[in-house]
Amino acid sequence: MSILEIENLSFSYGNPRGKLLENVLEGIDIRVAEGESVGLIGENGAGKSTFLKLLTGLLTLKNGVIRVSGFAMNKENLKAIRAEIGYVFQDSDSQLFMSTVYEDVAFAPRNYGKSEEEVREAALSALRQVHMEDKVDRQIYRLSGGEKKLAAIATVLSVGAKLMLLDEPSVALDPKNRRNLIRILNELPGAKIIASHDLDFVYDTCQRVILLSGGRIAADGETEKILTDRELLEQHGLELPLSFSRE
Amino acid sequence: MSRISDAISELHKLDMEADKPGWLQGIHPLPKLFVTVLFLVITVSFGKYELSGLLKLGIYLIVLFVLGDISVKLLLKRMKVVLALVCLMGIVNPFFDRREMLLLGGFAVTGGMLSAATLMLKGVYAVSASYLLIVTTSVEEICYALRRLHVPKLIVTVLMLVYRYIIVLLKETERMTEAYALRAPGQRGLDYKAWGTFAGQLLLRSMDRAQTVYDSMMLRGYDGEFYLRCKRAAGRGDYLYAAVWSAVLLFVRAGSAG
Ligand SMILES: Nc1ncnc2c1ncn2[C@@H]1O[C@H](COP(=O)(O)OP(=O)(O)OP(=O)(O)O)[C@@H](O)[C@H]1O
Ligand SMILES: [Mg+2]
Repeated sequence: MSILEIENLSFSYGNPRGKLLENVLEGIDIRVAEGESVGLIGENGAGKSTFLKLLTGLLTLKNGVIRVSGFAMNKENLKAIRAEIGYVFQDSDSQLFMSTVYEDVAFAPRNYGKSEEEVREAALSALRQVHMEDKVDRQIYRLSGGEKKLAAIATVLSVGAKLMLLDEPSVALDPKNRRNLIRILNELPGAKIIASHDLDFVYDTCQRVILLSGGRIAADGETEKILTDRELLEQHGLELPLSFSRE
Repeated sequence: MSRISDAISELHKLDMEADKPGWLQGIHPLPKLFVTVLFLVITVSFGKYELSGLLKLGIYLIVLFVLGDISVKLLLKRMKVVLALVCLMGIVNPFFDRREMLLLGGFAVTGGMLSAATLMLKGVYAVSASYLLIVTTSVEEICYALRRLHVPKLIVTVLMLVYRYIIVLLKETERMTEAYALRAPGQRGLDYKAWGTFAGQLLLRSMDRAQTVYDSMMLRGYDGEFYLRCKRAAGRGDYLYAAVWSAVLLFVRAGSAG
Protein backbone atom coordinates (compact mmCIF):
# COMPACT_ATOMS: atom_id res chain seq x y z
CA MET A 1 0.00 0.00 0.00
CA SER A 2 1.21 3.50 -0.58
CA ILE A 3 1.60 5.82 2.37
CA LEU A 4 1.33 8.84 0.12
CA GLU A 5 -0.68 9.44 -3.02
CA ILE A 6 -0.69 12.74 -4.86
CA GLU A 7 -2.79 13.43 -7.91
CA ASN A 8 -2.63 16.44 -10.15
CA LEU A 9 -1.41 18.79 -7.46
CA SER A 10 -0.82 22.43 -8.29
CA PHE A 11 -0.28 25.35 -6.00
CA SER A 12 0.26 29.09 -6.06
CA TYR A 13 0.90 31.60 -3.30
CA GLY A 14 -1.37 34.62 -3.02
CA ASN A 15 0.05 38.13 -2.84
CA PRO A 16 -0.95 40.40 0.06
CA ARG A 17 -3.94 41.69 -1.86
CA GLY A 18 -5.25 38.16 -2.25
CA LYS A 19 -4.43 37.88 -5.94
CA LEU A 20 -2.92 34.55 -6.89
CA LEU A 21 0.61 34.57 -8.18
CA GLU A 22 2.09 32.26 -10.76
CA ASN A 23 1.91 28.54 -9.99
CA VAL A 24 4.81 27.31 -7.88
CA LEU A 25 3.84 23.68 -8.36
CA GLU A 26 2.01 22.26 -11.31
CA GLY A 27 0.56 18.89 -12.31
CA ILE A 28 2.35 16.82 -9.69
CA ASP A 29 1.56 13.09 -9.51
CA ILE A 30 3.48 11.00 -7.01
CA ARG A 31 3.01 7.75 -5.12
CA VAL A 32 5.27 6.77 -2.28
CA ALA A 33 5.21 3.24 -0.91
CA GLU A 34 5.46 2.45 2.80
CA GLY A 35 9.05 2.50 3.94
CA GLU A 36 10.34 4.04 0.71
CA SER A 37 12.95 6.80 0.79
CA VAL A 38 12.60 9.53 -1.78
CA GLY A 39 15.04 12.34 -2.44
CA LEU A 40 13.55 15.61 -3.60
CA ILE A 41 16.00 17.72 -5.55
CA GLY A 42 15.86 20.88 -7.60
CA GLU A 43 17.45 24.31 -7.74
CA ASN A 44 16.61 27.17 -5.34
CA GLY A 45 12.99 28.16 -5.65
CA ALA A 46 12.03 24.94 -7.46
CA GLY A 47 9.20 24.39 -4.97
CA LYS A 48 10.64 21.71 -2.67
CA SER A 49 9.73 23.38 0.63
CA THR A 50 6.34 24.38 -0.73
CA PHE A 51 5.69 20.77 -1.66
CA LEU A 52 6.59 19.46 1.80
CA LYS A 53 4.49 22.12 3.53
CA LEU A 54 1.48 21.11 1.46
CA LEU A 55 1.88 17.54 2.70
CA THR A 56 1.76 18.71 6.31
CA GLY A 57 -1.26 20.89 5.74
CA LEU A 58 0.69 24.01 6.74
CA LEU A 59 -0.16 25.35 3.30
CA THR A 60 -3.74 24.83 2.27
CA LEU A 61 -4.33 22.51 -0.62
CA LYS A 62 -6.35 24.20 -3.36
CA ASN A 63 -5.97 22.04 -6.45
CA GLY A 64 -5.42 18.32 -6.61
CA VAL A 65 -5.61 15.44 -4.18
CA ILE A 66 -3.23 14.43 -1.39
CA ARG A 67 -3.80 11.22 0.52
CA VAL A 68 -1.67 10.22 3.51
CA SER A 69 -2.22 6.67 4.82
CA GLY A 70 -5.50 6.70 2.95
CA PHE A 71 -6.73 9.93 4.57
CA ALA A 72 -7.58 12.61 2.03
CA MET A 73 -6.07 15.97 2.94
CA ASN A 74 -8.84 18.19 4.29
CA LYS A 75 -9.71 19.99 7.49
CA GLU A 76 -11.40 17.02 9.15
CA ASN A 77 -8.52 14.64 8.50
CA LEU A 78 -5.76 17.07 9.35
CA LYS A 79 -5.22 15.78 12.86
CA ALA A 80 -5.08 12.15 11.77
CA ILE A 81 -2.70 13.02 8.95
CA ARG A 82 -0.39 14.99 11.18
CA ALA A 83 -0.16 12.11 13.61
CA GLU A 84 1.41 10.06 10.79
CA ILE A 85 3.85 12.72 9.71
CA GLY A 86 7.11 14.01 11.15
CA TYR A 87 8.36 17.24 9.61
CA VAL A 88 11.82 18.73 10.03
CA PHE A 89 11.78 22.42 9.09
CA GLN A 90 14.37 23.94 6.80
CA ASP A 91 15.03 26.48 9.56
CA SER A 92 15.45 24.77 12.95
CA ASP A 93 14.95 28.06 14.78
CA SER A 94 11.29 27.96 13.82
CA GLN A 95 10.90 24.37 14.82
CA LEU A 96 12.13 24.54 18.38
CA PHE A 97 10.18 26.58 20.88
CA MET A 98 10.44 25.12 24.35
CA SER A 99 13.16 26.28 26.69
CA THR A 100 15.32 23.19 26.99
CA VAL A 101 16.26 20.43 24.57
CA TYR A 102 14.49 17.81 26.66
CA GLU A 103 11.25 19.76 26.92
CA ASP A 104 11.19 20.28 23.18
CA VAL A 105 11.83 16.67 22.29
CA ALA A 106 9.26 15.53 24.86
CA PHE A 107 6.60 17.90 23.51
CA ALA A 108 5.16 15.65 20.80
CA PRO A 109 5.07 12.35 22.73
CA ARG A 110 3.30 14.15 25.56
CA ASN A 111 0.66 15.45 23.20
CA TYR A 112 0.02 11.94 22.01
CA GLY A 113 -0.96 10.93 25.49
CA LYS A 114 2.03 8.86 26.56
CA SER A 115 2.79 8.38 30.23
CA GLU A 116 5.64 10.43 31.62
CA GLU A 117 7.83 7.35 31.76
CA GLU A 118 7.22 6.52 28.11
CA VAL A 119 7.77 10.15 27.21
CA ARG A 120 11.12 10.14 28.95
CA GLU A 121 12.07 6.89 27.30
CA ALA A 122 11.13 8.18 23.84
CA ALA A 123 12.81 11.56 24.29
CA LEU A 124 16.06 10.18 25.65
CA SER A 125 16.29 7.47 23.03
CA ALA A 126 15.73 10.06 20.25
CA LEU A 127 18.43 12.26 21.75
CA ARG A 128 20.80 9.32 22.06
CA GLN A 129 20.27 8.51 18.40
CA VAL A 130 21.50 11.94 17.34
CA HIS A 131 24.27 11.89 19.98
CA MET A 132 22.75 14.72 21.98
CA GLU A 133 22.30 12.80 25.22
CA ASP A 134 24.73 15.06 27.06
CA LYS A 135 22.80 18.19 26.06
CA VAL A 136 19.45 17.11 27.45
CA ASP A 137 19.04 20.07 29.78
CA ARG A 138 20.70 22.69 27.60
CA GLN A 139 18.84 25.87 26.71
CA ILE A 140 17.71 25.83 23.10
CA TYR A 141 18.96 29.36 22.52
CA ARG A 142 22.44 28.39 23.51
CA LEU A 143 22.85 25.58 21.00
CA SER A 144 25.01 25.91 17.92
CA GLY A 145 23.41 25.81 14.47
CA GLY A 146 24.22 22.15 13.94
CA GLU A 147 23.11 21.16 17.44
CA LYS A 148 19.79 22.86 16.79
CA LYS A 149 19.40 20.81 13.64
CA LEU A 150 20.10 17.60 15.56
CA ALA A 151 17.63 18.59 18.27
CA ALA A 152 15.02 19.37 15.62
CA ILE A 153 15.55 15.93 14.10
CA ALA A 154 15.23 14.37 17.56
CA THR A 155 11.86 16.07 18.11
CA VAL A 156 10.59 14.12 15.11
CA LEU A 157 12.35 10.85 15.93
CA SER A 158 10.71 10.81 19.35
CA VAL A 159 7.30 9.99 17.85
CA GLY A 160 8.32 7.47 15.21
CA ALA A 161 6.29 8.83 12.30
CA LYS A 162 5.22 6.68 9.35
CA LEU A 163 6.19 9.41 6.92
CA MET A 164 9.13 11.67 7.61
CA LEU A 165 9.53 14.89 5.68
CA LEU A 166 12.96 16.43 5.98
CA ASP A 167 13.80 19.81 4.51
CA GLU A 168 17.56 20.18 4.11
CA PRO A 169 18.43 17.88 7.01
CA SER A 170 22.17 17.84 6.38
CA VAL A 171 22.68 21.60 6.35
CA ALA A 172 24.89 22.84 9.22
CA LEU A 173 26.05 19.36 10.21
CA ASP A 174 29.73 18.53 10.48
CA PRO A 175 30.96 15.44 8.58
CA LYS A 176 30.67 13.16 11.58
CA ASN A 177 27.11 14.16 12.43
CA ARG A 178 26.18 14.09 8.76
CA ARG A 179 27.40 10.50 8.48
CA ASN A 180 25.57 9.62 11.67
CA LEU A 181 22.35 11.14 10.30
CA ILE A 182 22.69 9.05 7.15
CA ARG A 183 22.97 5.95 9.32
CA ILE A 184 19.94 6.96 11.43
CA LEU A 185 17.78 7.65 8.40
CA ASN A 186 18.74 4.38 6.79
CA GLU A 187 17.77 2.50 9.94
CA LEU A 188 14.35 4.15 10.26
CA PRO A 189 11.54 1.90 9.11
CA GLY A 190 9.13 4.64 7.94
CA ALA A 191 8.91 6.31 4.54
CA LYS A 192 10.95 9.45 4.01
CA ILE A 193 10.98 12.38 1.67
CA ILE A 194 14.23 14.27 1.88
CA ALA A 195 14.51 17.64 0.17
CA SER A 196 18.15 18.52 -0.24
CA HIS A 197 20.84 20.20 -2.30
CA ASP A 198 23.33 17.79 -0.82
CA LEU A 199 23.13 15.22 -3.61
CA ASP A 200 25.70 12.97 -1.98
CA PHE A 201 23.48 12.85 1.06
CA VAL A 202 20.50 11.98 -1.11
CA TYR A 203 22.57 9.32 -2.82
CA ASP A 204 23.39 7.70 0.51
CA THR A 205 19.85 7.78 1.91
CA CYS A 206 17.36 7.41 -0.94
CA GLN A 207 16.50 4.68 -3.41
CA ARG A 208 14.44 7.03 -5.51
CA VAL A 209 14.85 10.64 -6.60
CA ILE A 210 12.33 13.18 -7.81
CA LEU A 211 13.73 16.16 -9.67
CA LEU A 212 11.60 19.29 -9.48
CA SER A 213 12.14 22.03 -11.97
CA GLY A 214 10.00 25.14 -12.27
CA GLY A 215 7.30 23.49 -10.20
CA ARG A 216 7.01 20.40 -12.40
CA ILE A 217 8.43 16.92 -12.07
CA ALA A 218 11.31 16.79 -14.51
CA ALA A 219 12.39 13.29 -13.58
CA ASP A 220 11.33 10.56 -11.19
CA GLY A 221 13.27 7.35 -10.91
CA GLU A 222 16.07 5.34 -9.39
CA THR A 223 18.68 7.39 -7.55
CA GLU A 224 21.47 5.60 -9.35
CA LYS A 225 20.11 6.65 -12.74
CA ILE A 226 19.17 10.25 -12.04
CA LEU A 227 22.13 11.31 -9.95
CA THR A 228 24.59 10.00 -12.52
CA ASP A 229 22.87 11.69 -15.45
CA ARG A 230 25.08 14.74 -15.85
CA GLU A 231 23.12 16.13 -18.77
CA LEU A 232 19.76 15.93 -17.00
CA LEU A 233 21.09 17.52 -13.85
CA GLU A 234 22.85 20.36 -15.63
CA GLN A 235 19.81 21.04 -17.73
CA HIS A 236 17.94 21.77 -14.48
CA GLY A 237 20.59 23.87 -12.82
CA LEU A 238 22.20 21.12 -10.74
CA GLU A 239 25.54 19.37 -10.75
CA LEU A 240 26.71 15.80 -10.36
CA PRO A 241 27.24 14.70 -6.76
CA LEU A 242 30.84 15.23 -5.66
CA SER A 243 31.47 11.51 -5.35
CA PHE A 244 30.87 11.06 -9.09
CA SER A 245 32.35 14.24 -10.46
CA ARG A 246 35.67 13.33 -8.89
CA GLU A 247 35.99 10.12 -10.83
CA MET B 1 26.67 44.34 23.73
CA SER B 2 23.37 45.81 22.64
CA ARG B 3 20.52 46.31 25.08
CA ILE B 4 18.48 43.75 23.25
CA SER B 5 20.97 40.97 23.60
CA ASP B 6 21.31 42.08 27.22
CA ALA B 7 17.60 41.52 27.63
CA ILE B 8 17.74 38.13 25.99
CA SER B 9 20.69 37.05 28.02
CA GLU B 10 18.90 38.21 31.20
CA LEU B 11 16.02 35.91 30.26
CA HIS B 12 18.48 33.10 29.59
CA LYS B 13 20.16 33.71 32.86
CA LEU B 14 16.85 33.49 34.69
CA ASP B 15 16.14 30.22 32.93
CA MET B 16 19.66 29.00 33.59
CA GLU B 17 19.50 29.84 37.26
CA ALA B 18 16.27 27.93 37.50
CA ASP B 19 18.16 24.92 36.15
CA LYS B 20 21.19 25.36 38.35
CA PRO B 21 21.67 22.54 40.79
CA GLY B 22 20.73 23.70 44.27
CA TRP B 23 18.34 22.55 46.91
CA LEU B 24 15.87 25.36 46.34
CA GLN B 25 15.87 24.77 42.59
CA GLY B 26 15.40 21.09 43.28
CA ILE B 27 12.23 21.52 45.32
CA HIS B 28 9.12 20.43 43.48
CA PRO B 29 7.38 23.47 41.91
CA LEU B 30 4.02 22.76 43.49
CA PRO B 31 5.03 23.26 47.13
CA LYS B 32 7.23 26.15 46.07
CA LEU B 33 4.38 27.94 44.35
CA PHE B 34 2.05 27.10 47.23
CA VAL B 35 4.40 28.54 49.85
CA THR B 36 5.00 31.64 47.73
CA VAL B 37 1.28 32.27 47.38
CA LEU B 38 0.75 31.69 51.09
CA PHE B 39 3.55 34.14 51.85
CA LEU B 40 1.97 36.76 49.58
CA VAL B 41 -1.48 36.29 51.12
CA ILE B 42 -0.11 36.59 54.64
CA THR B 43 1.96 39.63 53.68
CA VAL B 44 -1.11 41.38 52.35
CA SER B 45 -3.19 40.36 55.36
CA PHE B 46 -1.17 42.49 57.77
CA GLY B 47 -2.89 45.69 58.89
CA LYS B 48 -1.48 49.04 57.92
CA TYR B 49 0.28 49.65 61.24
CA GLU B 50 1.47 46.10 61.85
CA LEU B 51 5.08 46.78 60.99
CA SER B 52 6.59 44.57 63.67
CA GLY B 53 4.69 41.47 62.57
CA LEU B 54 5.62 42.15 58.98
CA LEU B 55 9.27 42.48 59.95
CA LYS B 56 9.18 39.04 61.54
CA LEU B 57 7.73 37.62 58.36
CA GLY B 58 10.94 38.69 56.64
CA ILE B 59 12.56 35.57 58.06
CA TYR B 60 11.17 33.66 55.07
CA LEU B 61 13.01 35.84 52.60
CA ILE B 62 16.21 35.97 54.61
CA VAL B 63 16.34 32.21 55.04
CA LEU B 64 15.70 31.53 51.37
CA PHE B 65 18.14 34.13 50.10
CA VAL B 66 20.87 32.90 52.43
CA LEU B 67 20.32 29.15 52.25
CA GLY B 68 19.35 29.20 48.58
CA ASP B 69 22.49 31.17 47.80
CA ILE B 70 20.52 33.71 45.77
CA SER B 71 22.31 36.98 45.09
CA VAL B 72 20.55 40.00 46.64
CA LYS B 73 22.72 42.29 44.56
CA LEU B 74 21.31 40.78 41.38
CA LEU B 75 17.79 41.17 42.72
CA LEU B 76 18.44 44.87 43.29
CA LYS B 77 19.95 45.26 39.85
CA ARG B 78 17.24 43.43 37.96
CA MET B 79 14.29 44.73 39.87
CA LYS B 80 15.50 48.27 40.49
CA VAL B 81 12.68 49.94 38.60
CA VAL B 82 9.94 47.87 40.21
CA LEU B 83 11.50 48.26 43.64
CA ALA B 84 11.78 52.01 43.22
CA LEU B 85 8.13 52.24 42.25
CA VAL B 86 7.14 50.08 45.19
CA CYS B 87 9.06 52.35 47.54
CA LEU B 88 7.21 55.37 46.20
CA MET B 89 3.93 53.86 47.32
CA GLY B 90 2.81 55.37 50.55
CA ILE B 91 5.35 58.17 50.37
CA VAL B 92 2.60 60.69 51.03
CA ASN B 93 1.14 58.90 54.04
CA PRO B 94 3.28 60.74 56.61
CA PHE B 95 1.80 64.05 55.48
CA PHE B 96 -1.76 63.03 56.09
CA ASP B 97 -1.66 60.79 59.11
CA ARG B 98 0.19 62.77 61.81
CA ARG B 99 -1.10 60.97 64.89
CA GLU B 100 1.71 59.98 67.21
CA MET B 101 1.78 56.22 67.54
CA LEU B 102 4.89 55.53 69.59
CA LEU B 103 8.08 57.06 70.83
CA LEU B 104 11.35 55.67 69.58
CA GLY B 105 14.23 57.04 71.66
CA GLY B 106 12.52 60.38 72.06
CA PHE B 107 11.51 60.51 68.41
CA ALA B 108 7.78 60.55 67.78
CA VAL B 109 6.72 58.09 65.11
CA THR B 110 3.46 59.08 63.48
CA GLY B 111 0.84 56.74 62.08
CA GLY B 112 1.67 57.98 58.60
CA MET B 113 5.31 56.96 58.91
CA LEU B 114 4.32 53.58 60.20
CA SER B 115 1.79 52.91 57.46
CA ALA B 116 4.20 54.18 54.79
CA ALA B 117 6.89 51.81 56.02
CA THR B 118 4.41 48.93 56.17
CA LEU B 119 3.22 49.56 52.66
CA MET B 120 6.76 49.77 51.25
CA LEU B 121 7.77 46.63 53.04
CA LYS B 122 4.76 44.76 51.67
CA GLY B 123 5.74 45.82 48.19
CA VAL B 124 9.35 44.81 48.63
CA TYR B 125 8.29 41.46 50.09
CA ALA B 126 5.96 40.74 47.21
CA VAL B 127 8.62 41.59 44.63
CA SER B 128 11.33 39.59 46.39
CA ALA B 129 9.16 36.53 46.94
CA SER B 130 8.10 36.47 43.28
CA TYR B 131 11.70 36.94 42.25
CA LEU B 132 12.76 34.01 44.41
CA LEU B 133 10.18 31.83 42.72
CA ILE B 134 11.18 32.91 39.24
CA VAL B 135 14.92 32.44 39.63
CA THR B 136 14.55 29.00 41.12
CA THR B 137 11.77 27.64 38.93
CA SER B 138 11.48 27.40 35.15
CA VAL B 139 8.47 28.80 33.34
CA GLU B 140 7.30 25.32 32.45
CA GLU B 141 7.47 24.30 36.08
CA ILE B 142 5.58 27.35 37.27
CA CYS B 143 2.90 26.78 34.64
CA TYR B 144 2.71 23.14 35.61
CA ALA B 145 2.16 24.07 39.25
CA LEU B 146 -0.43 26.70 38.29
CA ARG B 147 -2.37 24.03 36.40
CA ARG B 148 -2.19 21.73 39.39
CA LEU B 149 -3.62 24.52 41.51
CA HIS B 150 -6.53 24.68 39.05
CA VAL B 151 -5.69 27.95 37.38
CA PRO B 152 -7.64 27.85 34.08
CA LYS B 153 -5.96 26.27 31.06
CA LEU B 154 -6.41 29.40 28.99
CA ILE B 155 -4.51 31.63 31.40
CA VAL B 156 -1.62 29.20 31.77
CA THR B 157 -1.37 28.69 28.01
CA VAL B 158 -1.35 32.41 27.39
CA LEU B 159 1.36 32.78 29.99
CA MET B 160 3.49 30.15 28.25
CA LEU B 161 2.95 31.68 24.84
CA VAL B 162 3.63 35.22 25.97
CA TYR B 163 6.90 34.08 27.44
CA ARG B 164 7.83 32.34 24.16
CA TYR B 165 6.72 35.31 22.12
CA ILE B 166 8.83 37.77 24.08
CA ILE B 167 11.93 35.74 23.27
CA VAL B 168 10.93 35.46 19.62
CA LEU B 169 10.39 39.21 19.44
CA LEU B 170 13.66 40.04 21.15
CA LYS B 171 15.57 37.62 18.93
CA GLU B 172 14.08 39.11 15.80
CA THR B 173 14.87 42.65 16.97
CA GLU B 174 18.41 41.65 17.69
CA ARG B 175 18.89 40.05 14.30
CA MET B 176 17.59 43.15 12.56
CA THR B 177 19.57 45.69 14.57
CA GLU B 178 22.70 43.66 14.06
CA ALA B 179 22.13 43.49 10.32
CA TYR B 180 21.43 47.21 10.29
CA ALA B 181 24.47 48.10 12.34
CA LEU B 182 26.75 46.02 10.15
CA ARG B 183 25.61 47.84 7.05
CA ALA B 184 25.58 51.28 8.63
CA PRO B 185 28.94 51.44 10.36
CA GLY B 186 29.93 54.51 12.29
CA GLN B 187 26.34 55.37 13.02
CA ARG B 188 25.04 55.40 16.54
CA GLY B 189 21.72 53.68 16.88
CA LEU B 190 19.04 53.67 14.29
CA ASP B 191 18.57 56.64 11.98
CA TYR B 192 15.17 58.17 12.69
CA LYS B 193 14.24 57.92 9.00
CA ALA B 194 14.53 54.13 9.25
CA TRP B 195 12.31 53.81 12.32
CA GLY B 196 9.06 53.39 10.44
CA THR B 197 10.23 50.64 8.11
CA PHE B 198 12.13 49.01 10.92
CA ALA B 199 9.11 48.83 13.19
CA GLY B 200 6.90 47.59 10.36
CA GLN B 201 9.40 44.93 9.36
CA LEU B 202 9.83 43.87 12.95
CA LEU B 203 6.11 43.41 13.37
CA LEU B 204 5.78 41.42 10.15
CA ARG B 205 8.78 39.28 10.86
CA SER B 206 7.90 38.50 14.43
CA MET B 207 4.35 37.66 13.41
CA ASP B 208 5.81 35.35 10.84
CA ARG B 209 8.03 33.77 13.48
CA ALA B 210 5.16 33.37 15.89
CA GLN B 211 3.21 31.70 13.11
CA THR B 212 5.97 29.16 12.42
CA VAL B 213 6.28 28.42 16.12
CA TYR B 214 2.55 27.82 16.20
CA ASP B 215 2.85 25.64 13.07
CA SER B 216 5.55 23.62 14.71
CA MET B 217 3.33 23.10 17.75
CA MET B 218 0.37 22.03 15.65
CA LEU B 219 2.50 19.58 13.68
CA ARG B 220 3.53 17.93 16.88
CA GLY B 221 0.06 17.22 18.11
CA TYR B 222 -0.67 20.38 20.12
CA ASP B 223 -4.38 20.53 20.82
CA GLY B 224 -4.81 23.53 23.06
CA GLU B 225 -3.10 22.31 26.17
CA PHE B 226 0.51 22.22 27.17
CA TYR B 227 0.98 18.84 28.77
CA LEU B 228 3.29 20.14 31.39
CA ARG B 229 4.67 17.59 33.63
CA CYS B 230 7.37 17.58 36.16
CA LYS B 231 10.56 15.64 35.81
CA ARG B 232 9.76 13.92 39.08
CA ALA B 233 6.91 13.49 41.50
CA ALA B 234 6.84 15.41 44.77
CA GLY B 235 8.67 13.53 47.51
CA ARG B 236 8.84 13.63 51.26
CA GLY B 237 11.27 16.55 51.27
CA ASP B 238 8.90 18.62 49.19
CA TYR B 239 5.98 18.03 51.54
CA LEU B 240 8.25 18.81 54.46
CA TYR B 241 9.24 22.08 52.78
CA ALA B 242 5.60 23.08 52.36
CA ALA B 243 4.64 21.94 55.85
CA VAL B 244 7.50 23.69 57.66
CA TRP B 245 7.02 26.98 55.85
CA SER B 246 3.26 26.91 56.24
CA ALA B 247 3.71 26.36 59.97
CA VAL B 248 6.31 29.12 60.31
CA LEU B 249 4.34 31.65 58.27
CA LEU B 250 1.06 30.92 60.02
CA PHE B 251 2.83 31.04 63.39
CA VAL B 252 4.28 34.47 62.65
CA ARG B 253 0.87 35.67 61.49
CA ALA B 254 -0.92 34.28 64.55
CA GLY B 255 1.74 35.63 66.87
CA SER B 256 1.25 39.16 65.71
CA ALA B 257 -2.54 39.10 65.53
CA GLY B 258 -4.49 41.11 68.08
N1 LIG C 1 5.17 32.73 1.37
C1 LIG C 1 5.42 32.88 0.06
N2 LIG C 1 4.75 33.80 -0.66
C2 LIG C 1 4.98 33.93 -1.98
N3 LIG C 1 5.90 33.22 -2.66
C3 LIG C 1 6.60 32.29 -2.01
C4 LIG C 1 6.42 32.08 -0.59
N4 LIG C 1 7.26 31.10 -0.20
C5 LIG C 1 7.96 30.73 -1.31
N5 LIG C 1 7.57 31.44 -2.38
C6 LIG C 1 8.07 31.27 -3.75
O1 LIG C 1 7.76 29.97 -4.20
C7 LIG C 1 8.82 29.41 -4.95
C8 LIG C 1 9.22 28.06 -4.38
O2 LIG C 1 9.76 28.24 -3.08
P1 LIG C 1 10.25 27.05 -2.17
O3 LIG C 1 10.60 27.60 -0.86
O4 LIG C 1 9.28 25.96 -2.23
O5 LIG C 1 11.57 26.61 -2.95
P2 LIG C 1 12.68 25.53 -2.57
O6 LIG C 1 12.73 24.55 -3.67
O7 LIG C 1 12.43 25.00 -1.22
O8 LIG C 1 13.99 26.40 -2.60
P3 LIG C 1 15.31 26.31 -1.67
O9 LIG C 1 16.15 25.24 -2.28
O10 LIG C 1 15.93 27.62 -1.86
O11 LIG C 1 14.90 26.03 -0.28
C9 LIG C 1 9.94 30.44 -4.93
O12 LIG C 1 9.93 31.13 -6.14
C10 LIG C 1 9.57 31.37 -3.80
O13 LIG C 1 9.98 32.68 -4.10
MG1 LIG D 1 13.38 25.11 0.61
